[in-house]
Amino acid sequence: MTHPLEELRDGALEEIAAAPNEQALETVRVHYLGRSGSISAWGERMKTLSKEERPVVGKLLNQARTAVSAAIEEAGEKLRAAQESGALTGLDISLPGTPNELGALHPLTQMLDRGIELFRRMGFALAEGPDIEDEWHCFDALNTAPDHPARNEADTFYLPDGRLLRTHTSTVQIRAMQAASPPIRVIAPGSAFRRDEIDATHSARFHQIEGLYVDEGVSVADLKGTLEFFLRELFGPGTAVRFRPHYFPFTEPSFEIDVKSKALKSGEKWIEVCGCGMVHPAVFEEVSRSRGDAAYDPEKWTGFAFGLGMDRLAMILFDIPDIRLFAQNDLRFLRQFA
Amino acid sequence: MKFSLNWLGEFVELPNHIAQLAELLTLAGVEVEGIENRGANLKDVVVAQITSSTPHPNADRLSVCAVEDGSGTPRQIVCGAKNYRVGDKVPLALPGAVLPNDFRIEASKLRGVESQGMLCSAKELGIAEDAAGLLILSPEAKIGAPLREIFPNDTILDVEITPNRADLLSHYGLAREIATLTRKTIRPLEIAEPSAIGGNAVQISAPNECPFYSARRIDDVTVGPSPDWLRRKLDAVGLRSVNNVVDATNFVMLELGQPLHAFDADKLTGGINVRLAQPNEKFLALDGRTYNLNPQNLLIADAQRGIALGGVMGGADTGVTSATRNVLLESAYFLPSSIRRTARELSLPSDASYRFERGVDPEMILRASVRATQLLVECAGGAATPETVVAGALPAPPAGFSLRYARCDRLLGATVLPAEADRILGGFGLQKLGGTDDQSTWKIPSYRSDLRREVDLIEEIVRVFGINQIRGSDRSCFTTTSAADRRYDSEKNLRQRLVARGFCEARTSALVSRGSVGEGFAEQAVELRNPLSEDHVALRPSLIPGLLGALERNLRTGAKSVRFFELGRAFLPPYGAEARHLVLLVSGRAESAADWRGDRARQLDLFDLKGALEALGLGPLRWERSENPNFALAAGIYSDSTLLGLAGQLSSAHASKAGATAPVFLAELNLPNELESALQPRSFQELQRFPVVTRDIALLAPETLTHAEILTALTSASEPLLTAVELFDLFSGKAAGNLGGARKSLAYTLTYQDKNRTLTHDEVNAAHDRIRERMRRELGVELRE
Repeated sequence: MTHPLEELRDGALEEIAAAPNEQALETVRVHYLGRSGSISAWGERMKTLSKEERPVVGKLLNQARTAVSAAIEEAGEKLRAAQESGALTGLDISLPGTPNELGALHPLTQMLDRGIELFRRMGFALAEGPDIEDEWHCFDALNTAPDHPARNEADTFYLPDGRLLRTHTSTVQIRAMQAASPPIRVIAPGSAFRRDEIDATHSARFHQIEGLYVDEGVSVADLKGTLEFFLRELFGPGTAVRFRPHYFPFTEPSFEIDVKSKALKSGEKWIEVCGCGMVHPAVFEEVSRSRGDAAYDPEKWTGFAFGLGMDRLAMILFDIPDIRLFAQNDLRFLRQFA
Repeated sequence: MKFSLNWLGEFVELPNHIAQLAELLTLAGVEVEGIENRGANLKDVVVAQITSSTPHPNADRLSVCAVEDGSGTPRQIVCGAKNYRVGDKVPLALPGAVLPNDFRIEASKLRGVESQGMLCSAKELGIAEDAAGLLILSPEAKIGAPLREIFPNDTILDVEITPNRADLLSHYGLAREIATLTRKTIRPLEIAEPSAIGGNAVQISAPNECPFYSARRIDDVTVGPSPDWLRRKLDAVGLRSVNNVVDATNFVMLELGQPLHAFDADKLTGGINVRLAQPNEKFLALDGRTYNLNPQNLLIADAQRGIALGGVMGGADTGVTSATRNVLLESAYFLPSSIRRTARELSLPSDASYRFERGVDPEMILRASVRATQLLVECAGGAATPETVVAGALPAPPAGFSLRYARCDRLLGATVLPAEADRILGGFGLQKLGGTDDQSTWKIPSYRSDLRREVDLIEEIVRVFGINQIRGSDRSCFTTTSAADRRYDSEKNLRQRLVARGFCEARTSALVSRGSVGEGFAEQAVELRNPLSEDHVALRPSLIPGLLGALERNLRTGAKSVRFFELGRAFLPPYGAEARHLVLLVSGRAESAADWRGDRARQLDLFDLKGALEALGLGPLRWERSENPNFALAAGIYSDSTLLGLAGQLSSAHASKAGATAPVFLAELNLPNELESALQPRSFQELQRFPVVTRDIALLAPETLTHAEILTALTSASEPLLTAVELFDLFSGKAAGNLGGARKSLAYTLTYQDKNRTLTHDEVNAAHDRIRERMRRELGVELRE
């Protein structure tokens, strides 16, 4: 024979299972467990029971309360979950995400940052020099006498007072050596200016990273190792790097560097990316003369120097067809590199 | 410079594959930039003689020619060229011939007249660039002979010769280089020894600019067209044939590198005087123009006038013409810097000046004269005087110097055996004068004046040894951070902060037009002495005009939301002092795309600009109103008492010039040299453990009462529990019209907190009431409940 409390409990559990929503569930709760609920009423009734009956009924009452409360809790959670997921089933998750409001660094800045990062990894510190230079820093100190064929006035912007816009960042080599004694290990990112007709590959202003390392026993092998590392980091480990003898007045021997990589659009064609060489002893001599000491004795010190065209590197790396895009600052262009 | 492979092959045995030769030269520093095949397929092209020419009945510009092609049957050809005469021999492409670019020749009717083939220009045959008319062949050409007998196949190399290698500016010179690189022998030049005499015929008055001058007379020449072989050689490397005398001098220049000049001897009066020009002396040159000279220009003169700008260009009325009978042949050495200055000053670059300014081989000067004389007599007849008249002295040969083998190894970072080094230098024509195991002394050949010290020899060695033989090594090391490093890092930090706030970085031109300066963002600018275009005449004194240009371009292409910054150098007048400037520009919609959730699009305003400046990490910035004609609203931006720059809203006149319909907000700051605050390590502040209590305060205030004044009143109340004040609502202007008479409504959230305990409602209420009371009393504002 079942106790009426058990019948009440079973009835409550059935109603709970059948409750269609949270409101119906609350009605069930009030009906059974509310202050005057039918299960709660048994609490009052306990007082009227005999000593023998009380523990038995008390136990049944507790079991009934616990079972019904747990069932209500469980059913409530289920109902809430079903409601929530019901509300989200219809949400169109293909709607556009909130657009990116990040800005973008200019691709040339990104290229310079990347270059600087790589040279810093090899222990180069930064150095600076002005864009407006004198002839001595731009030419004379760099072993380029006034009648030197490499010194073409038609390619240089002059100011009325005879100063000029530096035609290469190599001027910073001289400034760095004037300011500090060897050993010296610097890179100088910056602008340079040439009086070129502007077209898809020429711009009046361009950007370079100049490098200079002067120490005892610096050799062509060191120059080669440094720039090979840089170019393979930049263009990928599969990049072929070729050093080709060339001529610059301020380095001897001098080289141009070509790269070739399947990963690049240019593919199997060699493309020139850098001029470099061993610092010409005449440059050391001229620096020492201007310092009034023998700090840069070419018998003791040797060094390498290089100049990387960053506009060109960015064009190769980002596959940009026209150098003029850099100065146009079209947001549609800039955002491509965000 | 262009080189003919056939010509080079006369002096040295060439590798079988052209690509191999090009690679060899390129890797030795003589870069081959182009390889072009000439005269490749001239099948069915023959020599023909024009026997008659009549106007085309239906076309003014065409003629109908009859030609003899060796078959015995005359052929009728319609022709558009005008440069021929009846009797000339010209190339005839027969029907069936295929010319370059797959141009097929067929018999056809042109304007109703039958044409059985085509008479060709040099360009149509792909043997030279000249497209001006028919290629007129020499009278000796055999009628009916295949044209490829006259123009055999050739390959033209376009080679970049670096300025230090004047010795490579000739076929003989490049052949000498190839011989060394391929370890072959150069065929010696067979040129008779010159016999030189002194005499009054030549006098040098400017021995510095012209150390050595020679002249030789060739009488009774017949000026006329050059033989085919000579024209072919000149054509191949891009030089136009002029006449047999001029061609002979040009040929010798291309072969041996020594420029020569031929005068019409009968036009000269008295002997030659090599002197400097008088001030303002006039000179009529070969190009028909009169040049105004100065005493830095070297002039070859006779007793009466200048007859040539030494080493640069000949005179108009003393040159060789078809009437010339007697020739005076000049061969000289000119000071490179003098030639360079004159050629540059007068904008007169020539093949001759190009070589003289790089330095010609002193030992080749008289030999070239002998070679040209011999050629001239061969092509134009006549007889040369046995002697060459010379004046001055040849420049001394380069001094010899030593090579230390250990030094070479150290500089290269590789081991080159002394025997290998000796072999390489010997190959370049250097002569070993002596030496030990450690070093050797070398005599430099006359044509290598670029070799001046030990390191130049090391370069020669590495060119041949091969830099690919040298293994790259790693010399990375520890380096201390420099001031430039810190500046770069701080700038990078600024850039990243702005990018995170939605700004795109612009890099505008440092060179600007005069107009963009005159607009008033800067009164003046440092101008260039020699600008290249009107758009780039001055160095920018401000970055604003450049950025406005970028704004204009982007608005034109439909940009709706513009946030730009640029960080770069400005050049401040009057001396162009370089300053690091940061410019911010905002205009248009706050969001770059529409919000489909329906929030209304907000326009960017002054406070977006202000917020961006505050996010730079430059510390607290103070805004003070100022006046500026370019701005509708302008403020000075101060850090402490230092004026960093200005900010504001651009005047509508400027904005509409840039095509902007929305207001444009701009700031330009002069960045201090030391800008490290953003990078300095921060100190930790203890996190508050006890809860905050917030109370709002809403007030009605006169429009003239500023936020700053309210804030001061709130924070100066010395309520220790008040930790933060935040404005969260503002009604003013038209929107606040119903508040009654020039009033605005502001609402603030006040935050109360104690770091040691949880606050009770009562004490917060008490503090808040005191603040409310103070606001009412001190500011006279009406508080709203």
